[in-house]
Amino acid sequence: MLAYTLRRIVATIPVMAVVALFVFSLLYISPGDPAAVIAGDQATPADVERIRASLGLDRPYLVRFAEWAWNIMRGDLGTSIFTNLPVSTMIQQRIEPTLSLMVITLILAVCIAVPMGVIAAWKNGTIIDRLVMGFAVLGFSVPVFVVGYLLAYVFALELDWLPVQGYTPLSRGAWPWFQNLILPAIALGGVYIALIARITRATMLEVLQQDYIRTARAKGVAQPGILFLHALKNAAVPIVTVIGIGVALLIGGAVVTESVFAIPGLGRLTVDAILRRDYPVIQGVILLFSFTYVLVNLVIDLLYTLFDPRIRY
Amino acid sequence: MIRRRDTLKGVAAAAALPLAGPALAQGQGARTLRVVPQANLTSLDPVWTTAVVTRNHAYLVYDQITAVDANNVPRPQMAEGWVVGDDNREWTFTLRPGLRFHDNEAVRAADCVSSIRRWMARDTFGQALNAQVDELSALDDRRFRFRLKKPFPFLALAMGKSQNPCFIMPERIAATDPFQQIRDATGSGPFRFLAGEWNPGQRAVWAKFDGYVPRQEAPDGLAGGRVPRLDRVEWTVISDPATAASAMVNGEQDYWEYPLHDLLPLLRRSRDLVIEQRLLEGTYGVLRFNHLHAPFNNLAVRRAVAMAVNQEDYLRAVAGDDPRGWGVCEGVFTCGTSLASEEGSAILRTRNVEAARAALRASGYAGEKVVLITPSDYPQINALSLVTADLMTRIGLNVEVVSADWGTVIQRRASREPVERGGWSVVHTTSSGSDLGVPTIHLFLRANGPNAWFGWPQDERIEELRAAWLDAADEAESKRLGAAMNARAMEVLPYVPLGFYWQPSVWRRNVTGAFKAPATVFWNIAKA
Repeated sequence: MLAYTLRRIVATIPVMAVVALFVFSLLYISPGDPAAVIAGDQATPADVERIRASLGLDRPYLVRFAEWAWNIMRGDLGTSIFTNLPVSTMIQQRIEPTLSLMVITLILAVCIAVPMGVIAAWKNGTIIDRLVMGFAVLGFSVPVFVVGYLLAYVFALELDWLPVQGYTPLSRGAWPWFQNLILPAIALGGVYIALIARITRATMLEVLQQDYIRTARAKGVAQPGILFLHALKNAAVPIVTVIGIGVALLIGGAVVTESVFAIPGLGRLTVDAILRRDYPVIQGVILLFSFTYVLVNLVIDLLYTLFDPRIRY
Repeated sequence: MIRRRDTLKGVAAAAALPLAGPALAQGQGARTLRVVPQANLTSLDPVWTTAVVTRNHAYLVYDQITAVDANNVPRPQMAEGWVVGDDNREWTFTLRPGLRFHDNEAVRAADCVSSIRRWMARDTFGQALNAQVDELSALDDRRFRFRLKKPFPFLALAMGKSQNPCFIMPERIAATDPFQQIRDATGSGPFRFLAGEWNPGQRAVWAKFDGYVPRQEAPDGLAGGRVPRLDRVEWTVISDPATAASAMVNGEQDYWEYPLHDLLPLLRRSRDLVIEQRLLEGTYGVLRFNHLHAPFNNLAVRRAVAMAVNQEDYLRAVAGDDPRGWGVCEGVFTCGTSLASEEGSAILRTRNVEAARAALRASGYAGEKVVLITPSDYPQINALSLVTADLMTRIGLNVEVVSADWGTVIQRRASREPVERGGWSVVHTTSSGSDLGVPTIHLFLRANGPNAWFGWPQDERIEELRAAWLDAADEAESKRLGAAMNARAMEVLPYVPLGFYWQPSVWRRNVTGAFKAPATVFWNIAKA
């Protein structure tokens, strides 16, 4: 197990190298010029050229890539073209809101979606099942920003229960922190809940047909015990897989959610950086997202062994 | 024994308590203005970038030698006054006593000289001034002097103009290469920038500078007393306009600099909000042709387009149907200013698609593709662009609309290639009226070919008139030349003016002291 884990961690290095090469090349060929953004309307072409030179953007592709890659290997993500701040500092400033949003959404989604899926499977074909599946279709179909605006209108503007926007760091109190994240987490969690609920239902339906479930019933095990101890544990592997895959959904959804609720997270940092062509920031954030995704997959693989003892690495 | 109820009470109490961090002082909220700025503050250097948001930051942090009043007349600001001598070729400025930087160092004439040099290297008006400067030097700690090659009557205006003026920094900072960004925002203005609280994309904070010595006059435009009446000014970047509107209605923010016009009716329904025009100048729309390539290298095609333009259509698309929100201005200079003229502007009063179509047929237009690039993430410019696209299609031009983000548009508009090789035919932009008031800084009126603004029009007559205006002997001569420039511009059409719209601001009713100025500034403002 330990050897497997180490092997997987080492295997992330080439994956990250490919991601780095891809991201750098993509940005190199994409249109846009940060020097023109900085210079503004009054600048002459010579001014723009001088700013480009001062930023090192006039150097050949290979020179720029080699320098960037060398700095990355030394743990230096570079400096933002616009703010002049180290990219690592900017990521550090933004990571807490995004991480908080993702964790709360994840907890919320799992706590709601798994019981929903289990109950839908148990009550297969009934009105409860149809309601759950109807909700799942809705969760998939309604865009995050629509849910976000509706929630903000009802709970912030009309009822005045929660703030419309912003983020309060955890260091200023758990309730203010949580208060700012409730609506964004619900908005972001919709599609995630739908996904997990559907896969839980489908897997549970299959497991509930198994002989050992019939045996448990024959032995007189209570329904909750059958559902949550015997069936759910055996249905866990596909559910955990989907939860892991869903992290990518969360990262993508966070970009929109952070914009709607003005949360200063990594999603907004990425969008702002893309619009301004702040290359070092874009590269740094994408590398971080890729690394997170690789890491989540590793954790999911390791979790398999917990739910299914037959799986061994 | 641990009791369940006690445990729950403890958890609830712990959740309500801050884990760490400073407690807010009593009444601090009432002395803090929470602002939604028009954009994200990404750079602190008003010389390095011309971004409006950076300029607004600079007005908080820095002071100026001169500043324009509500009539765009330069007044002394840091200067106690100035003396012009030696046939108008020598200007000596004296600083007010007691001026200090935020690091408590005294403001010296050497700081001013260094700051002026850095600013002159980058700013258009500054470059025009620099071309006439023979010598700029500090005479002592409070006096500095310009010696000019020939009289430059706009010297005080150039330094004190509202858009990208000369801000004074300590000499150690102003010595930075003007093409390199400064990191230290130490100024001598009414507010100090709190670098430790800056989170680009989210928040920027300024605190009152207790050592600031304001002038004793009432504020007048950007001139007069810059009295800081707030302890803190906090900018929170809210990129989504709907969210910003909700935050204003809900009382989570106090001041929104540039509300979207579409949301004004919603905001007007709230009795807690005040919606007013603070900026003295409107924002002007510009339709720019690419003069290097067909079809707009053909004057007759440009004139055909101008004949179809109805400024009201553009302005309604940007600012809505309420005519109080915009104004027609059928000349190249800012309406209401001394050079404003409509001499020769009859073509813009044609406003007739049929006539334009006939003119296009007669122009020799051979169906060449017209590529109109538009920024989809810039609502106002996008609206202007889409009106033009419709107009051009209706008069018979073969139009292809290329929608991209602003970053892509500003790169592509720099291309001088034909459209087949990634070039363009038409772009739009907007400009503050302050930048269109005089020929020296009027970008779109330059017609010096390769050195002109994107589109590169060439017309010797416009350039001659511009040069003559700089040497105009008096006001009457200046106006005569302004009218001649307007007439010539309307004849050769380096661009088509599209009128102006007002950009109001919104604030909570308990915000007091907001006054009209050519830029968004926060001195004199308080919160009840």
